[in-house]
Amino acid sequence: MESSALMPALFDLLCLAPVQRGFVATILTGITLPIVGVAIVALGIYPLRFTMMHVALLGLAIGQLTGTAPTLVAVFLCALTGAGLGATAYRPQDATSAMGFLMPMAIALAFLVLAAAGVHAADAFALLWGSILVASWAEIALVAVVGLGLLVLAIIFRQELSLTLLDPELAWTNGIETRRLSIFLFTGLAVAMAAAVRLTGALLVDAVTILPALTARALATSLPQMALLAMAAGLTGNLVGFALALLLDAPPGPILVLTAGALTLTTHTILKLRRRS
Amino acid sequence: MRPSRLDVSQLTCRAGRHTLLQDVNLTLVPGEHVALLGANGAGKTSLLRAILGLLPATSGEIRLDGRLQPRPCPATWPKAMAWIPQRPPRGQVPFRVKDLLAAPSAWAWAQRLGIAPLATRPLTHLSGGELQRVFIARALGQVAAGTGLVLADEPTAALDFEGQDEIGAILTALPVTMLLITHDPAQAARCHRALTMAHGKLRPYASAL
Repeated sequence: MESSALMPALFDLLCLAPVQRGFVATILTGITLPIVGVAIVALGIYPLRFTMMHVALLGLAIGQLTGTAPTLVAVFLCALTGAGLGATAYRPQDATSAMGFLMPMAIALAFLVLAAAGVHAADAFALLWGSILVASWAEIALVAVVGLGLLVLAIIFRQELSLTLLDPELAWTNGIETRRLSIFLFTGLAVAMAAAVRLTGALLVDAVTILPALTARALATSLPQMALLAMAAGLTGNLVGFALALLLDAPPGPILVLTAGALTLTTHTILKLRRRS
Repeated sequence: MRPSRLDVSQLTCRAGRHTLLQDVNLTLVPGEHVALLGANGAGKTSLLRAILGLLPATSGEIRLDGRLQPRPCPATWPKAMAWIPQRPPRGQVPFRVKDLLAAPSAWAWAQRLGIAPLATRPLTHLSGGELQRVFIARALGQVAAGTGLVLADEPTAALDFEGQDEIGAILTALPVTMLLITHDPAQAARCHRALTMAHGKLRPYASAL
């Protein structure tokens, strides 16, 4: 396709209902979910995202078996898991062992439930893969409510959160009830990831959470700046990735991940070259 | 500012099968500076963490100005104390010096300790000594704002000789109650009293100070 024809082609595609829904979901996840990534990077709880992918998959499987809205079951199960992790971990990093236990348990149960539900292997794979183009308005609304809710709470409790993200013990000695805050944090992060799983797929939720946060960490000199840059990187990566997926007629999930990854890699490379020179 | 009184009685802390502190009795009268020495792993930091409420007591009690440390200990408890941690956190994400020293009293100390020019630098970009100065300025700011008890865990370990002297003199001159963990006998000699810890038990320091 010639470059002059690219924009009209994109606008034509944007007239289609699934593409419109995908476009809205792209913007929403690009803005709100990088905040989740910032918290995960700050607390060093990277295994949380894998844990939630597994638990969300179990939730989706239970939803399929019982005929209940799969995303809601996934969100509910992840909320329970997040609250449990937050309540039992003295410091957020202490939750790593529990997460290591939960991951294989959740995936094993998910396979059992999927087998019991008679879900075909290809359909089970679709749960892992997901697609922003098949998202329903209800699923997009759920991401909007959860993501924007988290964003508002992060702004309200920014002082408590920033000290907790620096060091939970230091925050606690400053009168911040970090144990309660941990429950809120873990639950919020878990719910946000579960809500996004249907849009990006369980395996690709990293693209809209961790990768923008890693890009922002390389550039930022303060936590608020990192949060804003993560949102900018998330939105840019998502929009570029979404447009590329449409133009190349490729599955959006992997293109979103590769775009976000390319952005992260380019940022780090440019910074490294600058430091050398 | 009113110096605090600290009473620790029959304090025992266990972590699993390990006894971190055993029947520790300690009283710091208002304005008293007590040095705490001992080998690595003797329980010095555990004692500070128990006083702060970071390490739950298995038995015994801790009182600050007569107030009993509640169980479970709420986060409001350590607010009456200024803590200089042994290993100040740098964080996994950028956190600026000035964000940590936002209180005017802390910023005044930052200027006095020569770290004001580092204001916009993230903690991850500081040297060990600079980072320690940031946390010392923070604690001194808390003291200026009225905190009566300082818990200092090897506060000058990362500083150069000159810095050790400078900070040592500042800490010694503070009109507060202070429990200071150190491996430096000279720093301990500046305190009113010195104690030593071994295997979680507290003893008078044998060396002539």
